[in-house]
Amino acid sequence: MSVESSHTAAPAQPSPATAHVKAGLARRYAAEKRFRLYGIIAIGASLAFLAMLLISIVSKGLPAFSQTFIQLDVPLDIDTLDIDAETAEAVQEGSLPASELRRANYNGAIREALRERFPDVSGRSDRRALYKLVSTGAQYDLARIVMDDPSLLGQRQTLWLPTDDEIGALVKRGADLTQADTLSTRLDDKSIAWAADLDANNEFDVRFNTTFFKNGDSREPELAGIRAALVGSAYTLLITFLLSFPVAVASAIYLEEFAPQNRWTDLVEVNINNLAAVPSIVFGLLGLAVFINFFHLPRSAPVVGGIVLSLMTLPTIIISSRAALKSVPPSIREAARGLGASELQVVFHHVLPLAMPGILTGTIIGLAQALGETAPLLMIGMVAFIVDIPQGITDSATVLPVQVYLWADSPERAFTEKTSAAIMVLLAFLIVMNAVAVMLRKRFERRW
Amino acid sequence: MDKLHLDQHISQQFNLELEEIRNKVLSMGGLVEQQVANGLTALLEGDGDLGQTVSQSDYQVNALEVEIDEECTQVLARRQPAASDLRLIVTVIKVITDLERIGDEAEKLGRFSVELGGPDTGDYRKELRHLGELVKTMLRDALDAFARMDVNAAIQVASRDDDVNREYGSLERLLGTHLVEDPRQVSKLFKITWCARALERIGDHSVNICEYVVYLVKGRDIRHTSFDQIKNEFLQSPEPGDKA
Amino acid sequence: MNDILSPPVSRAGLHEEPTANTVLQEIKATVGTATVENPKMQARNVDVHYGEKQAIFDVSLDIGNNEVVAMIGPSGCGKSTFLRCLNRMNDSIPSCRVSGEMSLDGEDLYGPDLDPVLLRARVGMVFQKPNPFAKSIYDNVAYGPRIHGLAGNRGELDEIVTESLKRAGLFDEVKDRLDAPGTGLSGGQQQRLCIARTIAVSPEVILMDEPCSALDPIATARIEELIDELRQNYAIAIVTHSMQQAARVSQRTAYFHLGKLVEVNDTNSVFTNPQHELTENYITGRFG
Repeated sequence: MSVESSHTAAPAQPSPATAHVKAGLARRYAAEKRFRLYGIIAIGASLAFLAMLLISIVSKGLPAFSQTFIQLDVPLDIDTLDIDAETAEAVQEGSLPASELRRANYNGAIREALRERFPDVSGRSDRRALYKLVSTGAQYDLARIVMDDPSLLGQRQTLWLPTDDEIGALVKRGADLTQADTLSTRLDDKSIAWAADLDANNEFDVRFNTTFFKNGDSREPELAGIRAALVGSAYTLLITFLLSFPVAVASAIYLEEFAPQNRWTDLVEVNINNLAAVPSIVFGLLGLAVFINFFHLPRSAPVVGGIVLSLMTLPTIIISSRAALKSVPPSIREAARGLGASELQVVFHHVLPLAMPGILTGTIIGLAQALGETAPLLMIGMVAFIVDIPQGITDSATVLPVQVYLWADSPERAFTEKTSAAIMVLLAFLIVMNAVAVMLRKRFERRW
Repeated sequence: MDKLHLDQHISQQFNLELEEIRNKVLSMGGLVEQQVANGLTALLEGDGDLGQTVSQSDYQVNALEVEIDEECTQVLARRQPAASDLRLIVTVIKVITDLERIGDEAEKLGRFSVELGGPDTGDYRKELRHLGELVKTMLRDALDAFARMDVNAAIQVASRDDDVNREYGSLERLLGTHLVEDPRQVSKLFKITWCARALERIGDHSVNICEYVVYLVKGRDIRHTSFDQIKNEFLQSPEPGDKA
Repeated sequence: MNDILSPPVSRAGLHEEPTANTVLQEIKATVGTATVENPKMQARNVDVHYGEKQAIFDVSLDIGNNEVVAMIGPSGCGKSTFLRCLNRMNDSIPSCRVSGEMSLDGEDLYGPDLDPVLLRARVGMVFQKPNPFAKSIYDNVAYGPRIHGLAGNRGELDEIVTESLKRAGLFDEVKDRLDAPGTGLSGGQQQRLCIARTIAVSPEVILMDEPCSALDPIATARIEELIDELRQNYAIAIVTHSMQQAARVSQRTAYFHLGKLVEVNDTNSVFTNPQHELTENYITGRFG
């Protein structure tokens, strides 16, 4: 039958086309190889930059996570502390609160201890230099120790107290303190000699820096902590998330699923896209003008920062949410509609769950952007010097990137490491956020 | 639209296959027609050699039938024809069966012509001439109607079966009379009766072919339908307008 | 009349396809019988427009109880559009406009009294691509009864799910893994799951839009067998690209061409002796 006859024999000679293709093959493969190489180079370069950045930050910032302590034999007698005997007795008996001891001269006790440790030191300026071995914050530590246990009054106590940042940095570095010439430091030779003596007697100790995570900002680097900024960032982001997520998702759903396609929705869409491109400082000005000057919300507060940052984050989340909603296959909508689901049921039972991973990704990107934002917060006063940990969303607060900015501006040497350490904390914060996002995505994706 | 556009399928291969089947059926028809004509000539002329040739050529018809059957099966399996294509294949399968039977009858004529031997006086074979011509024309016209898909011609040809039957009837009576008059010729007369019977069967098969043609074109099975009804339905309207 | 006697034509330039215009002129009215006694759904003189473009021209067609009506025709002929109008799935397309009469048990589909949500519960739909929800097999089937509140308690819901899966011929294959995701099933199983999901709502009519186009022949045969069984209880309209499928499963076949209903008749006569030349051309594979 003719069906079989249509088969033509394969040509024995390769056709001209085959030869042509063959000739070009090498070139095509070479191009492919080249392109792969470009890709690898690009990735390598970016990895190298990233590694450089991380290495420099980590190497600079790591020392900030440790702190040097000096061992001192502190006389806690009431004379040195300048406390009247009745008060001391009353506190020890418990008839007066320990806070009565707050005003005692703890500094004097520390100085006395130093003088006893180095009895040879005389002269005003030498003594002043000697006192500088210990951190100015040491008196507060001592006060806390005494107030925690008033029975210590009248005894001598061997205590570990924080050192000054300059000396501390040398010890942390493990520098050879006997070779004063080789050290690049602002300290004079005498101080270094005392430090060498202390070091030789193992009276220095390097411990994990809890102060950094416990304190707010300070003028003294060894006392400055990240806590206020961390809490401020957390509050601000919480506000941002609570405001922007529902609003953005709701707008995305409305625009994508319900809004009629007309000039108004087009206009809204264009505006949202433009909003995403507005410089963030403009949002700060807006926040200043509207929320602070008009609505009289508190200055420097996470609530205002959160509102401003949500304005900035909204378009990002809306755009990515719309993309996520759009990528849900229409067949799912049709299936639900075909079963008699109402439009709202279609969206909330089927489309939204499927779009959730994408929406969350967009949200995290938006929040990460907000977390790293400085400019708009400067405008609403979150750049203030905040010592106290904010207790609520209306307290004055600062945020991590602003803290980084502030410390980067400070002249003290120890603040450089603080800056890097703050950046590391900021990065850790981001990583935690992303991890949470990945976890949430996994959870949603497991529902197919 | 009483046309079969065998050449308008999207699949050119399908066109070719159908065309080939149709051509083979037509050539099988031509072969059978030739066999019948030769068989009749051999019989009437007493040409034993020709009769021999006819009875020995029947295998060609059979071979063609098998071949066309095979091709039709393949088309059914591979193309799943529908509508007119389906009807064409079904028609072809049936037509070739009838053609093969006609071929068998022609072979019978050839065989009898050999057995009857050369012409002699008092031969009754010439009585068959009229019936033979009638049937030969009928077969030719039936094949023409098939080739042209001509419903009117097909019905007209089919209606001629009555003449054949009438002729066969009178021939039967005539031969019966001869049998009584001339008992010595019994075996010869019986053979001639067989030949008449064969010719009558060819007429019947031709009618079948005509009926298939009507089925092919009109999609209506007109077998076992009264002739008046058929004529009313298909012949009165000059160009049946039921196709939109 | 004598074209068949012409010598075999050369292969090149064999036929000229009729232009759309000449063909359109030939479609004057639907050939065959578009009506049935006691129809479940009726469409009369339906026109459908997408914006300026008219997709359906004056289509009248009945869908009877306990029968499968197959709609065939070349791509873009409007058969799917017509099918989707039968349960107002086209409502979600803003530019789509339907005029003419369509009714379910004599109730006007596009009338003010008929809610589309209710309509879709009564007229179920199975789609071309199996589209199970991203939920478990159980939840897929239970979804419709849940949103419509068809089950009073968990036991009743279990009953409905089991029954629907059984009727869809899927129960034995999935009874051990009702909690497994519906999307994890094979294509044919997914499509049967979609059918189970549809019949779980107890519809009166089932519309199928090329339900087997994504399936292999075995799965297709299963679905076709299922369609034949479902016919005992439902009115079914099926759009298909496969003429063989239409021939196999349907009792009546409607041929659409360029938005018009060219011919509708019982399937046997459409496939052996179509009355309209366009139908003939389409089902025998001559252009279109």
